[in-house]
Amino acid sequence: MADFQTSTHRAKWIFTPAALVEKYKAANRRAIRTLEQYGTTQMEVDLDGSISYPEPQISAKENADRYSRPKPLNTEEEQFMRVYYENKLREVCCAFYFPHKIQATALIYFKRFYLQWSVMEHQPKHIMLTCVYAACKIEENHVSAEELGKGISQDHQMILNYEMIVLQSLEFDLIVYAPYRSVEGFVNDMEEFLHANDDQLQIFKDLHETAKMEVDKIMLTDAPLLFTPGQLALAALRRSNEVHAVLDFQRYLGSIISRQNSAFTTAELFESLDAIDSLVMSYKFPSERDMKHINRKLKSCWGHDDGKKREKKSRHKSQKSSNEIQNGPSMAE
Amino acid sequence: MGDGNNTTTTNNRGSNSTSNNSEKPEWLQQYNLIGKIGEGTYGLVFLARTKSPANRGKSIAIKKFKLSKDGDGVSPTAIREIMLLREISHENVVKLVNVHINHADMSLYLAFDFAEYDLYEIIRHHRDKVNSAINQYTVKSLLWQLLNGLNYLHSNWIIHRDLKPSNILVMGDGEEQGVVKIADFGLARIYQGPLKPLCDNGVVVTIWYRAPELLLGGKHYTSAVDMWAVGCIFAELLTLKPLFQGQEAKSTPNPFQFDQLDKIFKILGHPTLEKWPTLANLPHWQSDSQHIQTRKYENIGLHSVVHLSQKSAAYDLLSKMLEYDPRKRITAAQALDHEYFRMDPLPGRNALVPSQPGEKVVNYPTRPVDTNTNFEGTTSLQSSQPVSSGNQVSGNMAGAHLAPNRSAPRQMAPINMQRMQPPGMMNYNFPSQSAAASGLNPGSMAMQQRGMAAQAHQQQQLRRKDPGMGMPGYPPPQKSRRL
Repeated sequence: MADFQTSTHRAKWIFTPAALVEKYKAANRRAIRTLEQYGTTQMEVDLDGSISYPEPQISAKENADRYSRPKPLNTEEEQFMRVYYENKLREVCCAFYFPHKIQATALIYFKRFYLQWSVMEHQPKHIMLTCVYAACKIEENHVSAEELGKGISQDHQMILNYEMIVLQSLEFDLIVYAPYRSVEGFVNDMEEFLHANDDQLQIFKDLHETAKMEVDKIMLTDAPLLFTPGQLALAALRRSNEVHAVLDFQRYLGSIISRQNSAFTTAELFESLDAIDSLVMSYKFPSERDMKHINRKLKSCWGHDDGKKREKKSRHKSQKSSNEIQNGPSMAE
Repeated sequence: MGDGNNTTTTNNRGSNSTSNNSEKPEWLQQYNLIGKIGEGTYGLVFLARTKSPANRGKSIAIKKFKLSKDGDGVSPTAIREIMLLREISHENVVKLVNVHINHADMSLYLAFDFAEYDLYEIIRHHRDKVNSAINQYTVKSLLWQLLNGLNYLHSNWIIHRDLKPSNILVMGDGEEQGVVKIADFGLARIYQGPLKPLCDNGVVVTIWYRAPELLLGGKHYTSAVDMWAVGCIFAELLTLKPLFQGQEAKSTPNPFQFDQLDKIFKILGHPTLEKWPTLANLPHWQSDSQHIQTRKYENIGLHSVVHLSQKSAAYDLLSKMLEYDPRKRITAAQALDHEYFRMDPLPGRNALVPSQPGEKVVNYPTRPVDTNTNFEGTTSLQSSQPVSSGNQVSGNMAGAHLAPNRSAPRQMAPINMQRMQPPGMMNYNFPSQSAAASGLNPGSMAMQQRGMAAQAHQQQQLRRKDPGMGMPGYPPPQKSRRL
């Protein structure tokens, strides 16, 4: 695979924790601003895959006074929403028996998409399915939108409508590096490191299997946006090694670092692995009550006047967006 | 990435179904359309010039991809080409300058720097107009640069899979004059661990450059298939004729291409299990399709076809590229190291300058431009130019798709060229070097320190230290890692 060192993944899609928080906040702020201005947050996606901002609702103000004012999600609630649909995404991939690689790619697409947008702006259900669809296309496991839609009783046209927006929001950086392969590479390396003989193969197999399950957990956190696949893989292997006690992990890390003339110290590496661990430990899945609450809020944000919006759609299409175009989807500027 | 808002909004306004067509989409306003320069099954190719003050007048080739015809969203070919080109950057590989989306018809426009020539045209010009061989320096420089780009691709785990003269571009006047650019990545693949064997998607490419293991039904593409194609191209540069000009069998979706193999065997001799042990496992050989195993071939000898002494370095290199056994075939990295490139004349960056003072410069024809066309469905055209309707253009394209031996309309052609195009796709592609594109240049962007980024993809290193190659950073092409 193209080299990770020179990849768009490394150059553009790995953030500092502070930068990541800021991106989530920015998307949230923007959606809230839109809500205040227009009384709704949801972007409309046309048949042709273009999007428009919501209609300004003249009545929004009075509505807001008369009924309950739409309440925006805060960033924690947005996070819950993403967590919830990332799990859904995994369910869909499992239902289709897609390989790990597709699931991982789709998850990373989904995460990257919501760096650009708030969940209030684009329905995560649609985005989740579109990410799975795009991941299948990219990973050469093409599944038609129709097939995908049928399999989960969803309208496949919606997937097609969103495809361009998703690709664009990913800035067409479509090659992503999941940690599964790195895990495999490290396990092979460990075998060599320990001069493993044939009797030990089973223990490495176990180490590998447990590590894969650890990667599964890591993939549902923010860690893939914060750390390189190699680091994620090592974090998974370290946890797996705690179970199987295959090798002295610190010594092993020391050996990698010295072999690669790394600029980093073992201590720094450990710090990263600890940070990944703590993301896994602090992972929270929303309760049913949380989701109910969030969904109620979201509904109020999205409004229900679909018919009205559709009518005016083509005309409205976007003065607002046109001035943002310059730095728009063209990838290179 | 900047602010999410900026990067995610659509760029094309005013071209939805109800809007009038006089308003150009914004992205298009940065270009002056000159005309159409090519077409293929994927769509059309246009020549345009940038208007922005910084690069005013710079020629850009814009490749338009239609929405996939089976109603299944964005063309996978386009996606593949974009995603690969986003990740790579090399002097001898085309560079994607920009991607534009036209929402009106959900088509994608890929902008590349324009390359005036390609090997197809250069060879044709020598054969039909100059009536003399391409000078040795030019052949060697073209070949070296082609291998240099290919070595880069292969060491990044990318197989091109559709190398042929028309996909090898050469830059015209300017800073990069005479520089080779490998183009057209629509069929290219990353070959580390795809989910399915690579043969799965009914490949339609010209068979003349197809490696024997594929012709015999081999399911796995390795980087060796590209080297076979380079060998064919090398021979064609020397003789100005395609080396193995087989008749393509078109009956079924994936017919056995006997005639192509026949052409190969006539020149290289019948392959033997002795020299090529895995031959026995190749489906068409195994099933003895059309008695392929027992036919008799006299070996005319490659050297006599290409008029090279069997002792020459050029012949040695060529025969190593046309080695039957893909595992023994020379790799791009090994080829670059070959004695041929260390002998006079040494290869150079500008392949088109004369190698010796006093030698005459060959003036290759510039690309014909059909100005009688427009960016389909997106715009009213440059006011100064007569324009056909978008519909008409798309009509042409449909025709092109059906006709196996079509040639693009080329009103502006200096001579009436018929590009004999074996079915397949793509004539043109366009390179770019400029790439004002920070986003396109992953390496240039500062990346936060996340601990040990350096050892991130450890497995890359692990893979690369695979034995057998002795070539750091070069993937062992014959290892099957594909499943």
